[in-house]
Amino acid sequence: MIETQGLGKIYGRGLHALRDLNLTIEKGEFVFLTGPSGAGKSTLLRLLLLQERPSEGDVIVGGRNLARLTRNQVQAYRRTVGFVFQDFKLIPAKSVFENVSFALRVLGMPVEQQRRRTYQVLKWVGLQHRLNSLPEELSGGEQQRVAIARALVNEPHLVLADEPTGNLDPDLSLEIMNLFRDINASGTTVVVATHDRELIKWVGRRVVQLEHGQLAGLPEAAK
Amino acid sequence: MNVVGYAFEEAWASVRRAGRSAAVSIGTIAIAFLTLGGFMLVSVNVQRVLDRWLESAEVSVYLYDDLSDELRAELETYVRQQPAVAAVEYVSKDKALERFRADFPELLDVTSSVAQNPFPAAFEVRLRPDATGTAAVDDLTTGLAGRDGVADVRYDRRWLTRLAGLVTTAQVAAGVVAAVLMLGAAFTVAAVVRLSLHARREELDIMQLVGAPFSYIRGPFMVEGLLLGGVGAAVAVAGIALLFTGISRWLGSDLAGLMGTGQVHFLGLREVAIMLFGGLGVGAAAGTVASRSAR
Repeated sequence: MIETQGLGKIYGRGLHALRDLNLTIEKGEFVFLTGPSGAGKSTLLRLLLLQERPSEGDVIVGGRNLARLTRNQVQAYRRTVGFVFQDFKLIPAKSVFENVSFALRVLGMPVEQQRRRTYQVLKWVGLQHRLNSLPEELSGGEQQRVAIARALVNEPHLVLADEPTGNLDPDLSLEIMNLFRDINASGTTVVVATHDRELIKWVGRRVVQLEHGQLAGLPEAAK
Repeated sequence: MNVVGYAFEEAWASVRRAGRSAAVSIGTIAIAFLTLGGFMLVSVNVQRVLDRWLESAEVSVYLYDDLSDELRAELETYVRQQPAVAAVEYVSKDKALERFRADFPELLDVTSSVAQNPFPAAFEVRLRPDATGTAAVDDLTTGLAGRDGVADVRYDRRWLTRLAGLVTTAQVAAGVVAAVLMLGAAFTVAAVVRLSLHARREELDIMQLVGAPFSYIRGPFMVEGLLLGGVGAAVAVAGIALLFTGISRWLGSDLAGLMGTGQVHFLGLREVAIMLFGGLGVGAAAGTVASRSAR
């Protein structure tokens, strides 16, 4: 599903956020990206979502080399990927329902289909009773569930989450992780970046440890 | 909902949100197009007067007083045979004096005080409508100027053509002024569209992340410019119509008499279309330029 080959990202003044990263994530896998702040977790997710382009190496997702996609192809690729961020990234002026259906609306889906699919996914995350609420009227956990619903509404093959429980208390974090487990159980590849070791231990899936932009725990020659 | 419906819905919501800045934008577009429309209104009426004058332009062939009747008849035959000529009228010295007295009764003393009739006899040559300004007329005037008995040949159209040239220059200058104003208006529209783009920056980022096509991301801003420009131009057309109605009521008959056209004319369908489509075009162009920062 995801393969990086010699992937590197260099910011100004020669700062290597990622360095010669070779990583493979199989289709349907649930992978935690972990490591200290600045290890390159978020950078890798940004490269996978094509918010940034790699400085060197390749990122191959579903057989497509992301570095070679045109601007329009990038948009088409993003429609196959769901994303969840620590700060939820909800539109404050839109209701819960609109925040989710928005992702379908901008794809030109017929209104009736938009409504049906949005309701289904909001029901799945347990928010069918908050359809008309604004984001500011929701708790952190509820806002993150709206973000997850938006990520899933397009039925993506891949879900990326960057510190999705960073703003939540431990109970809500477990609740959100359960949702990710359910998403993965339906065959969707899930990549979650987090530094919460307790949560990783509780979920118990494959862990990719990053340090200084490289895979950690490997002999120097294998990095 | 398709992309066009989405773009119009979002653009309309954005214009309503923008409120005062949208009103300023519409106002600047309206002022620019009011200026353009004013120029066009004057231009349309001046052009009508010029066209009428040009159509009725005559060649006057002044004759020497000592011209014999035979030579005069020969000259008249020559003129009538020319392809550019529609009609010829002989105006004798006495008839010319009579006309002058009838046209300028206040100058009767002047004509009475001179011993002899100072007006020359002349042929007034009316040209065929399709011949005015052509080489055939030039041939006619050149040919007549060199003939015996002809004192002078005057062709009205020459100075009318010069006048038309001046009017064209004025029209071009007015067009340049209007273009500069429109450019300013376009910058205002672009600034307003950019403001609404910044107000929705977060929403745009999310649209990009969910993979919205660029037509959905940029379309609303292009349509917002289109709406601002179109409404501005429509306001300008309405303003011109109001001004025209007012001026026609107060000064219409005086102006019409001055121009000799019977009545002052409003903008034609073509000019109104130029203004409206111009407004839409300027607005859409400004919106398109502004929307390019949504990437």
